[in-house]
Amino acid sequence: MVLLRLENVTKRFGGLVAVNRVSLKINSGEFVGIVGPNGSGKTTLFNLISGVYFPDKGDVFFEGKNITRLPPYKRAPLGLGRTFQIPRPFGSATVRENVAVGAMFGSLGGKINVDESLELADQIIERIGLGEHRKKRASTLTAVEKKMMEIARALAMKPKLLLMDEAMAGMHPKDIDQTVSLIKQIAVEENIAIVAMVEHIMRAVLGMAEKVIVLHQGSKLVDAPTKEALEDSRVVEVYLGRPLEE
Amino acid sequence: MRKTVQRYYPLFPVFAAYFILFLVGKNVSGMWQLVSTLLFYCALGQAFNIFLGMTGYVDFGYVAFMGVGTYGMAIAITRLAHVEALGVLIVAIGFAMALVMAALLSVAVGAVALRLRGAYFAIATIGVNEGFRFLIEGAKIWNGSDGMIFTAQLNQILGRETASALSTFWADVIVLIIAVLAAFVTLFYMKSKIGYALTALREDEDAAVVMGINVTKYKIIAFITSASFAGLVGATSWALKTPYVFPPEVFEIHYTIEAIIIVLLGGAGTLLGPVAGALIYGISKYYLSIFLPGFQLLIFAPIIIIIIILFPEGVIGMLKKSFRDSTLMRFII
Repeated sequence: MVLLRLENVTKRFGGLVAVNRVSLKINSGEFVGIVGPNGSGKTTLFNLISGVYFPDKGDVFFEGKNITRLPPYKRAPLGLGRTFQIPRPFGSATVRENVAVGAMFGSLGGKINVDESLELADQIIERIGLGEHRKKRASTLTAVEKKMMEIARALAMKPKLLLMDEAMAGMHPKDIDQTVSLIKQIAVEENIAIVAMVEHIMRAVLGMAEKVIVLHQGSKLVDAPTKEALEDSRVVEVYLGRPLEE
Repeated sequence: MRKTVQRYYPLFPVFAAYFILFLVGKNVSGMWQLVSTLLFYCALGQAFNIFLGMTGYVDFGYVAFMGVGTYGMAIAITRLAHVEALGVLIVAIGFAMALVMAALLSVAVGAVALRLRGAYFAIATIGVNEGFRFLIEGAKIWNGSDGMIFTAQLNQILGRETASALSTFWADVIVLIIAVLAAFVTLFYMKSKIGYALTALREDEDAAVVMGINVTKYKIIAFITSASFAGLVGATSWALKTPYVFPPEVFEIHYTIEAIIIVLLGGAGTLLGPVAGALIYGISKYYLSIFLPGFQLLIFAPIIIIIIILFPEGVIGMLKKSFRDSTLMRFII
C-alpha cells in the first residue's frame, strides 16, 4: 500500500532550485534511505514532506489524501513523525515530558490523556535505553542521548511514517548498529515506514534500507533497491567522482 | 484519587504564603496597606505568568488589559447605578464586563500580534497600550480624558459604609481570591496538555509545530486567560478600591514593567515564582521608599540586575534546580 506519494514536487529559493520535479512513492512499513551529498536537497525534501515548506509546484499525498498545503501540526496527527539533524529538545522539560509531548500530539492525539501519555513515554524510554535519564532535564543530556531522546519522542507519536534526519550522525559505529537494529525491530512491530536521510553514514542505510533514493542537485538520480542503487555507476560518480581513464 | 490530590500539592506553599500575608495584614496594626500592595502584586504576577511564564512571550502592552477591566467595572457602575433592583448585582455585572472586555481585547491583539515571534511580538505590543490610551482620549470614548468618577454611584449602590469597607478591605480580599484562582488555573494548565504544549513551544516553536502542536491556538489560550485575570485585577484594584478611572493612570506602562520584573524575579513559568517575586519586589520597594525616599529606583535597579544574573531562572527556578530530587520539591513547581 502506498503511504506517501510525491508528484513532480519543486521548491525554489530565489534562483536556486532546491528540489526539482521529484516524484517518489513510499510504501507502508518500508525502509527507505535518502542519499545525496551536501546541498543535494535532502533536507528541503524532508521539509516539504513534513510541511515546514510548501512546494512551488507538485503535490504531496499521504494515504491518498492531498496534504500539499496542510500545515505541519495537522500532519503529525495523520501519522507523520520526524527527527531533526541537530536535536531540538524541549530543554527545560524532563526526558519523560519531552517524549510524552510526542504521545499527546502525535497520531494518538485525541485518544490519550496526560497520564496515559506519560506511561507510554516511560515504556518507550525504557525500550530505547534511556531509562536512567527519565527524570533528567533534556538540556543536560549528552549529544548522543539527545539524539536517542528525539527518536523516542518521534516513536511516541506512533507514526506511520518516520522521517529521520541524519539521526545517527556522531554516534559510535557500535551504537549505530545497535540503534539501527532496535529501530528496525520497532518499525516492524508497529508497521512504521522509515525514510532515513543519510549523508555520511552509509553503514546505517546499508544495514537496513530496502530501497535507496539518490538525490543530486535537487533531482532524483536513482530510485532502486539498495544493492542495485549503490552499485549504480552514476551514484559512484556523485560520491567518488569519475574513475580515472587508464 | 490519591494521585489527583498529589497533583495539587504545589498549591500548598502558594496558599500558605497568601494565608500568612492575610493574617499579618489583619492582625498587625498598620500592615494592611503593605499587604494590600503585596496581594495586588501577587495577583498581577500570577496572572501575567500564565502568558509570559508559560509561553516565553513578553507582552509590553499587558497593562492595557487591566485598564480595560477597570473601564468594564466603571461602565457597569455608572450606567446601571440607577437600576435599584439590581443592587449589589451591579458589581457582579461589572466583573463580567471586565472579564469580557479584557478577553475581547486580547483576542483582537492576539489574532494579529501572536503571528509574530519573540522580539517582534514584544515590539508590536508596546504600541497596543499607548494606542488604546490615545484612542480613548482622542475619540472621547468613555468620557475620553475626563475619565470616570463613580464614588457617588458606588455609595448609592452599596451604601456609604459598605463602599468604604470595600475600598479599604474587601477589594483586597477579592484580589486575594483572584490570585488564588489564577494559581489554580496555572496548575491546571501545567498538568494538562495545554501546559505541555506551552512548554514545547516556549522551548522550540518549530519543533513543537512539527510534533503536531497548533502553537497559535495554545498561545492564544494562554493570552486570553492571562488577559482575563488582568481585567479582573484592574476591575478590583483600580475600580472598586479607588472609584475613578483616568486613561493616563490605568494605561501606564510602568505596571507592565513591574509585572515583568515580578515574574522573572520569582521564576517564569513556575507556580510559586510570581508569589516569591511579588513578595521580594513589593517588600523591598515599600521599605526602600520609606528609608531612602527618592532613591529607591537607583538602588533597586542594580539589585534586580544582580538577582537576574545570579538566578537567571528566578528564585524558584534556582530552588527547583538545586533540590531536584528531594521530597520537598513535590510541593514546589
